[in-house]
Amino acid sequence: MILECRNLTKTYRGKKAVADLSLSLDTGKIYGLLGENGSGKTTLMKMIAGLAKPAEGEILYHGHPLEYRDKAHIAYMSTEPFYYDYMKVSDVGRYYEDFFEDFDMKYFQDLIGKFGLEEGMKAKDMSTGMSAKLKIAATLARESELCMLDEPLNGVDYKAREEIIALILEEADDKRTFLLSTHLIDEIESFVEKAFFIKNGELIKEMDLEAERMASGRSLTDVYMDIM
Amino acid sequence: MGKLIKYEWRKQRTTRMVILISLLVGLIAFLWGMLFKKDVFAAMVLLVMFSVSLLVLLYTGIESILILSRDLRTKQSYMLWMVPRSVWEIVGAKFISAILQMLFSFAAFFAAGCVCGAALLYYSDGMRAVIESVQIIVKNFFEGGNLVNIFWFVITFVIAWIEIIMIGFLAVIISRTVLLNSRFAGLFSLVLFFVINWLVERGYSLIHAIPLLQNAGNLGIWNIWDCVYYLLISAVLFLATGWLADRKLSV
Repeated sequence: MILECRNLTKTYRGKKAVADLSLSLDTGKIYGLLGENGSGKTTLMKMIAGLAKPAEGEILYHGHPLEYRDKAHIAYMSTEPFYYDYMKVSDVGRYYEDFFEDFDMKYFQDLIGKFGLEEGMKAKDMSTGMSAKLKIAATLARESELCMLDEPLNGVDYKAREEIIALILEEADDKRTFLLSTHLIDEIESFVEKAFFIKNGELIKEMDLEAERMASGRSLTDVYMDIM
Repeated sequence: MGKLIKYEWRKQRTTRMVILISLLVGLIAFLWGMLFKKDVFAAMVLLVMFSVSLLVLLYTGIESILILSRDLRTKQSYMLWMVPRSVWEIVGAKFISAILQMLFSFAAFFAAGCVCGAALLYYSDGMRAVIESVQIIVKNFFEGGNLVNIFWFVITFVIAWIEIIMIGFLAVIISRTVLLNSRFAGLFSLVLFFVINWLVERGYSLIHAIPLLQNAGNLGIWNIWDCVYYLLISAVLFLATGWLADRKLSV
């Protein structure tokens, strides 16, 4: 097991964004985090990434309480752009290279070339799609043990979506764990191994896709529509 | 920590560029006034440069607090908080960068002042007067005890700014942990800034009421215990800021 969340609770302005949530992730698997807007997916990812502090509960990484050093092995891509205003594509690469030992600059440059981005482009001035591609390139260029992508397919065109999925599959192996949140359930159904359904901050169902298909013949979309 | 300081330092580059360009324009205007005997114009330029320097020194201290507030208010906070560095390193880097920025501004205005002074002497009494003045100033500094006074003035000035920056940092962190992303967080941190400042000054008055400390450590107009007090307060503020950020801050 790479990560375990025990009874996590996070409150914003009196409202529970995450409520007594427990889950665990195994090494080398691809997980889907599914739920409506505001269900607590992003808050959960931010707590695992060390950006938000849980009000209650704990997060164990390889069995020990999560600490700042673990961020060296956990990659997180947020939905919104977060790079500094002055940064160009090349600055983003340099920043990751400066702080993350697992960052592969050569691979990053390959990815931005593949996505049609140029090193001199300013991150601030990019369209939603281009910005998403830059975030994906920077995050996937890290050979992190745990890679969390929050809505990685948001705002990108169909072709780029296919490219991003292909990249995730290319990167996934028995040493790396992926946690993806998305609304585009159809897009991830073919490769996600296990799904967590979150509603009002609570984990309402864990689903092993293959086992569910074998047992009931229902797809991820069917289950999602039933319980959400 | 060096890399963190590098990126923090980069955030205030625009301000540094504005300072340098403004100083250059001011210097050129002053020298033009001297060269073409436009004494009133040159004097006005000097006056403006002096006034602006005070405002800029004030702003550079406050700017680092504003940057921390902006960093925490926007998603750009992820850039700092996603890296595998402790909160102490992050806050420390912000603090060191703020001090460096202040020293840079101080050095830039001091250099500009020296150039203006030298030019003034050169155009009124020639190069000989410039050299003689430099010699007199250097001699006074080293022999008249002025060097010690200037040293303590600079130390007191830097420590006072360190304390102000630390108060600002603590006010912002408290505000962002208590009020999270409320639209009143900015106002709250401003009020907190003044409240903490008042508490620090209250502590200062209480300590000065102790009879033994009233005249102890006086170095001319500077008191060594003032420096010790403000340094201790700065250390306490830094510890409180780091502790709170480490345990409570969510970005």
